[in-house]
Amino acid sequence: MIPAAFDYVRAGSAEEAVELIGQHGEEAKFLAGGHSLLPLMRLRLAQPSVLVDIGRISDLSYIRDAGDHVAIGALTRHSEIEHSDVLAQHVPLLAHAASQVGDPQVRHRGTIGGSLAHADPASDLPATTLALGATYVAQGPGGTREIAAADFFESFLMSTLAADELLTEIRVPKMDGAGWSFQKFNRRAQDWAIVGVAAWRRNGAAGVGLVNMASTPVLATSVASALAGGASIADAAEQAAAEADPTADLNASVEYRIHLAKVLTRRALEAASA
Amino acid sequence: MTVGRSELRRDAPDKVTGAARYPADGFPAGALVARLVFSDQPHARVVALDIERARTSPGVVAVFTSADVPVNEYGLTLFDQPVFVGLEHTGRSPIPCDVSRWEADNIAFVVAESIEAADRAVALIDVEWEPLPVVADIDAALAGSTLIHPENGRDSNVYHSYKVCKGDIEAGWAAADVVIEGTYEFPYQEHAYLQPEAAVSYVDDAGRVTVEVAGQWTHEDQEQIAHALDLPRDDVRVIYPAIGGAFGGREDTTLQIVMALASWRLAARGERRPVTCRWSREESIVGHHKRHRGRVVARLGATHDGTITAVEADGWLDAGGYNYTTNKVLGNLHLGVAGCYEVPNARIDSHAVYTNAAIGGAFRGFGGPQAAFVAESQMTKLALALGLDPVELRRRNVLRDGSIGITQAVMPDGCTLPEVIEACVERAGLDEPLGDAPAFSPVASLAPAEEAVRRGRGFACAFKNVGFSFGFPERCEAEIHLHGDDDDEIARVELFHGGADVGQGAHQVFVQMAAEAVGVPVERVHGQFSDTATSGDSGSASASRLTWMAGNSILGAAEEAEKRWRDGDRPAVGRFRYTPPPTEEMDPETGACVPNFSYGYVAQAVEISVDVETGHVVVDRVTSAHDVGRAINPALVIGQIEGAVVQAHGYALSEDLQVRDGRILNPRLSTYLIPGIGDIPRRIEAVVLELADPLGPWGARGMAEMPFITYAPAVVAAVHDATGVWFDEFPLTPSRVLAGLRAAR
Ligand SMILES: Cc1cc2nc3c(=O)[nH]c(=O)nc-3n(C[C@H](O)[C@H](O)[C@H](O)COP(=O)(O)OP(=O)(O)OC[C@H]3O[C@@H](n4cnc5c(N)ncnc54)[C@H](O)[C@@H]3O)c2cc1C
Repeated sequence: MIPAAFDYVRAGSAEEAVELIGQHGEEAKFLAGGHSLLPLMRLRLAQPSVLVDIGRISDLSYIRDAGDHVAIGALTRHSEIEHSDVLAQHVPLLAHAASQVGDPQVRHRGTIGGSLAHADPASDLPATTLALGATYVAQGPGGTREIAAADFFESFLMSTLAADELLTEIRVPKMDGAGWSFQKFNRRAQDWAIVGVAAWRRNGAAGVGLVNMASTPVLATSVASALAGGASIADAAEQAAAEADPTADLNASVEYRIHLAKVLTRRALEAASA
Repeated sequence: MTVGRSELRRDAPDKVTGAARYPADGFPAGALVARLVFSDQPHARVVALDIERARTSPGVVAVFTSADVPVNEYGLTLFDQPVFVGLEHTGRSPIPCDVSRWEADNIAFVVAESIEAADRAVALIDVEWEPLPVVADIDAALAGSTLIHPENGRDSNVYHSYKVCKGDIEAGWAAADVVIEGTYEFPYQEHAYLQPEAAVSYVDDAGRVTVEVAGQWTHEDQEQIAHALDLPRDDVRVIYPAIGGAFGGREDTTLQIVMALASWRLAARGERRPVTCRWSREESIVGHHKRHRGRVVARLGATHDGTITAVEADGWLDAGGYNYTTNKVLGNLHLGVAGCYEVPNARIDSHAVYTNAAIGGAFRGFGGPQAAFVAESQMTKLALALGLDPVELRRRNVLRDGSIGITQAVMPDGCTLPEVIEACVERAGLDEPLGDAPAFSPVASLAPAEEAVRRGRGFACAFKNVGFSFGFPERCEAEIHLHGDDDDEIARVELFHGGADVGQGAHQVFVQMAAEAVGVPVERVHGQFSDTATSGDSGSASASRLTWMAGNSILGAAEEAEKRWRDGDRPAVGRFRYTPPPTEEMDPETGACVPNFSYGYVAQAVEISVDVETGHVVVDRVTSAHDVGRAINPALVIGQIEGAVVQAHGYALSEDLQVRDGRILNPRLSTYLIPGIGDIPRRIEAVVLELADPLGPWGARGMAEMPFITYAPAVVAAVHDATGVWFDEFPLTPSRVLAGLRAAR
């Protein structure tokens, strides 16, 4: 199928993008890399009447050392995150997770802001930034606000971002010296995860995020608290699905997803502890 | 010598640069745009059909339905499908047209000025259905009282059966020391060719209704169109431009008849603009047939020393709503299910069953892969039960020159399977211990925990017929023109041939064979292919037959032309129709017959790794050994081997077409998972033997299906070798493997 007809406008700056989306109202949508939105439009699951193209706002494409955290512009492409020296040094887990998104073509078009705003539980970066305790910055008609990753994801493809708010920056706490691992299980190489696990450990603390284990990305807090309580990795990993609520689809049953979450969590924690 | 050389394919530059013209690239400016409307009803009766709103919608030129088709029926080997399902037809077909038996049955063909106008009109077709019980699978078809084709006079959905009765089956069981029993289920497979269906049609300058389309047999398409339109064959023309893959999926027609119908009817109204139509991937996956799913219950008996004493098998193929080529595929399954072995005593019953599920039809291997899955799994299980090496068991029973096959006919001369097996064993190093492999694919993201990896290897071998079987009329025509001045030098050779280049490189091979036959450098040969107006009937690009049959036709035409050349004709024209040794239909009670005139042989060994905690299987190495008789173009032979292995890899491991209540649930390449570059075997080694087929052109044998046939059973055997668990059902998706491993614990 081909998408329904729509109008197209291009924004030159974050301010202009917010203004344009305000002008065109409910039916308008931001277009970043288009790698989630266009497939939905092709299947007519989304039919925006106006696309506000933010893909060329170069001001929003950066990766900066910001003291206690790394600041990433929302328009930064996955491939830039994958190859960033700053992230390699301070948050290698995020760089590695970005390297596991789709194939090279996808990573050269897709943006971190689009990936988070799209709020797909099957995407890799929402669960990873959630595990890392990131903060997202949104700009709306009334100014900017900060949203903790834990408060961002509401339900399937729904976030707490308002329709006229633009994600502008992602702030990821530095994790120097942490052990980490990203385990992604897919049925076809370079494809979406059936289940994925992002994990880090440092000085007794731990964070575990799950991909595709509920209608939102999941923070597996029970695993972290079991570890904090002195449980072995194997025992803690048994708690992997405690916060999860996976669904069955053509690729996997609920039971298989839960099994994978436990196996991958154990492997991730072992790797992060090595 | 050009035969035996890996000449660069003539079509390669255009295909690599994008200049090659596939059917949808030839759409003329100003052409009309059409959409074929599927019933979307696996089983339902048409109660009302009103096209008035669609017909009068803006931009619509015409809407065609069952009432417009002179003879409203279609079928390659048996007419059982209406071209259009609808309320009425001309009364010239005995097939009731008011029932949709398949979700992709055609209900109307909308021709419009633009795709938007066509889309609008499709939504305005008013049709009312009376639901009928959906016969979802073989079990439902065998158990239930709902008949899908009551007009055929049978009291069951089983509509075609074959038997084999050989030797004394009771004596065979009495002599057996060990008996292996199994029930095997095999899945659908989608062809997933790169180019979805597309066509352009018009009435040409000579007044012929013409369809440019991708197919596998121009003259059969022509025949089917002529039958439905009730036109003399010569009033119909079929042309194949570049074809983007076929694999059997274009053996039956899709757009051919409806496109011809539209242009023919429109021309009668004075509307001569060409009509174009192109399917989306979803339409393609829903709208053409699949490799058959089915089931075989098998028994195999042998003595302690590994001599086979008896084989029994009962098999069923799910035909879907219409026969397509099911009766022929069933014959091949029937012939192959006892394996490539000397079997003194056998009873085999095979049945084709109508259901309302996806249609089954031709696909690379044509019943052979399903048969080999059963026969080879049985053989490896038998070897293990006897404590014999699986290859050694095969050595003791394998068909060789002089062997009598399952239909009581002597194998054609040049039965080289023993040699092929040894070549495979040697290259794969099967006599040495299995080494380590690096854990998993470099592209696959998941590095498994090493202690969770088990390695194993598996072996399988098979034969596959070259050319049409069981008495189906077999022939191939070629025409060669030799041009030059009066002196003896042939300056230019023209070759006219109908054989379809579906991407395998057939035309390149034809040109090389023509050059060799005439004795000129290959540059002097110019081919004109795949147009019923200029080429004779070649038969189809199927059954691994085209190089073999076309080569023999080219040899004959060249000889004829050279005779004329010597007589002084300029140009000297040679036409030749090659007919191979005859084959026979099976005896209805015993199956006795001469089934085939030539075979190709394959043996494969695979090495795999299994992650026992996730069920993920990775194939590390494949050794695929073949007797190709003579490699006309070795690079193309290796291309076929590697391509077939990759396609079989998807069949064995990842491709999982889900059909529920007659509907395909995953008609997209995002959900129907063909392997990507990160999934395919890390190493594929092709071993090419050239042991001449006495009847083959330059000794060549067909070979393009064979590398597919043995892959699934070899992988299944390797997984057993690694884990101790047998899988009698595939694809080996991670969840199925994990469930199997857990059940066995
Ligand atoms: C073949 C393929 C394979 C893929 N595989 C994977 C995979 O394995 N793992 C994975 O994680 N992802 C995968 N993706 C998705 C890919 O990562 C997308 O790039 C990403 O999910 C969306 O980013 P985008 O820039 O393309 O966003 P778009 O598609 O342009 O937008 C997505 C949504 O977010 C909104 N949006 C975009 N930017 C902003 C912003 N700054 N502020 C507010 N709203 C915004 C849009 O309005 C839209 O609703 C795959 C995509 C494809 C096509």
